[in-house]
Amino acid sequence: MNRIEERLKELAKQNKKALITYMTAGLPSLEGCKDIIMAQDEAGTDIIELGVPFSDPVADGPVIQEASYEAIQLGTNVTKVFQIVSEVRKDSQIPIVFMLYYNTILYYGVSEFVDKCIEVGVDGLIIPDLPYEEQGEINEFLGKEEAPILIQLVSPVSKQRIPTLLRDARGFVYCVSSMGVTGQSATFHKDIITYLEEVKKESKIPVMMGFGIRSAKDVAPMKNIIDGAIVGSHFIKIMKEANYDLNSIKEYCSIFKEELN
Amino acid sequence: MDKYYYGKFGGRYVPESLINTLDELEAAFEAAKIDEEFQKELAYYLKDYVGRETPLYLAERLSKKYGTKIYLKREDLNHTGAHKINNVIGQILLAKRMGKKKVIAETGAGQHGVATATGAALFNMECTVYMGEEDVQRQALNVFRMEMLGAKVVSVKSGSNTLKDATNEAIRTWAKTAEDTFYVIGSAVGPYPYPKMVKEFQSIISKEAKVQFKEKEGRLPDTVIACVGGGSNSIGMFAEFLEEKEVELIGVEAAGLGIDTRKHASAMALGKPGTLHGMRSYLLQDADGNVELAHSISAGLDYPGVGPEHAYLRDSKRVEYVSITDAEAMEALKELCELEGIIPAIESAHALAYAFKKATTMKPEQAMIVCLSGRGDKDVHTVSNYFSGKGYLN
Repeated sequence: MNRIEERLKELAKQNKKALITYMTAGLPSLEGCKDIIMAQDEAGTDIIELGVPFSDPVADGPVIQEASYEAIQLGTNVTKVFQIVSEVRKDSQIPIVFMLYYNTILYYGVSEFVDKCIEVGVDGLIIPDLPYEEQGEINEFLGKEEAPILIQLVSPVSKQRIPTLLRDARGFVYCVSSMGVTGQSATFHKDIITYLEEVKKESKIPVMMGFGIRSAKDVAPMKNIIDGAIVGSHFIKIMKEANYDLNSIKEYCSIFKEELN
Repeated sequence: MDKYYYGKFGGRYVPESLINTLDELEAAFEAAKIDEEFQKELAYYLKDYVGRETPLYLAERLSKKYGTKIYLKREDLNHTGAHKINNVIGQILLAKRMGKKKVIAETGAGQHGVATATGAALFNMECTVYMGEEDVQRQALNVFRMEMLGAKVVSVKSGSNTLKDATNEAIRTWAKTAEDTFYVIGSAVGPYPYPKMVKEFQSIISKEAKVQFKEKEGRLPDTVIACVGGGSNSIGMFAEFLEEKEVELIGVEAAGLGIDTRKHASAMALGKPGTLHGMRSYLLQDADGNVELAHSISAGLDYPGVGPEHAYLRDSKRVEYVSITDAEAMEALKELCELEGIIPAIESAHALAYAFKKATTMKPEQAMIVCLSGRGDKDVHTVSNYFSGKGYLN
């Protein structure tokens, strides 16, 4: 069974909500990246979203843009991100989802990319510039055993598209909380509650909310609807401010997880 | 064929939150295209406001020097100084029809920004233009013009600080504000239906040129040449000739310091297929699949990708794509000034430079049309620095 599905099943059994964090791969370094993932595994983070840096991250706000740029300057590329996962897998089975732009996959070769994900143990893919209608090409390869799950993103304006988007969705549904890019602090869409309820009603799999979340308090109003929260830009900011201190990172994750449940 | 694609190029590589917006835009565009009222309004503004039709001018001294007939399609004589306004009027009328009151645009050389600011002023819309910091510096005059026209110019400081990054920022803003904002894309790039829409609104160039040439020469031209950055003036210049297989079509990309130097903007000469700005097309990329910076003395050609239909026309061999260096373009610019009394935009000078090379291989009774996409007023500073040896931003 896929690690994401396995973990979410466990959480459902325990009636608990998931904490998913986003970090840009390669920061502060390749080794440091593994340490952060291991620390989060201990602290109770459920799923790691690992951002593969790209030169033109159009779905990201300034924080992740800057992190991406820094990581590229440090020489991070997709081959090295695969190495990080490979290293992590020696010691941990925490679910790992790649967040990356489609060009990175195209350049690597779609078939080769999926094979490499299977080889090193990548459990899911979030590709913000690959909407449902463009997923045919990669789907041809995702049927393989142990292949990563392509996570479906839903937006506040998806509306009549929701049933289509969710029809074959696996793992979890990623509900984008606002229009636009990552990291606009807690300025959720005006119809956020109705929208989340709509998705929840339609979805057979857990519903996660992301974009603009800083702490468990931000999602308190929708706590009864969603199955978990994704924190990205704010997490990156916190790590940077703490100079990537593992104890601070652990503390942030464990408090978030506790308050969420 | 999938309507979103030109062969294997095109598509809609954008976040989920923009798909409904693109669907709405497509529906509005298709409806407008067959709506007589819309077409009448568009024709009215193109004639009485933009100043169309533009002349097809036989450049006599150039023709004599190079030994074949060289006709110039004078898009430089349009209101605001370039072909960009053709598309802007079309898209802004569409925005108006869709009830949008705010428009955003990206700009490289500033011509599309100026055109959009102009259209927004004309139709009383709020306008924000995204422009790379480097372009803000080298096209200061156009920034000033946009501001005079009431637009807000946002200087984008990320990546290469040029058109690519301005486009990223415009897409980000659009994703945030699509509920009430219309994104006026200036080149034949972006997610479907933009490449189709830009082609539709720019095809007026070749519609006119075909008729004008027929009147003068009683036949079709042998060769048609236009410069290619994202590819809006060229797709407009080629559109009506694509089905006329005997007409040779040539697109001219910017070779910057030379295509073997890595300091160029020739996506079709050296790019690999990739995805950027909502489309799949040829794209300059480094060894890690990151988008490589383009280089050209011309801000309007300084773009690492190219419109998807051009990518298709290249692969299907209907159009030949070549490239011209900064130095060659600047020589051609000077020559047009001295022989014909026309100061062309540096972008258009790339097309001219190749046209001069091509002309020497043609016969006196043959004829070509070169798209003179814009005038050079905006470039005089760059030109002056270049010829006085002060260097220039590349």
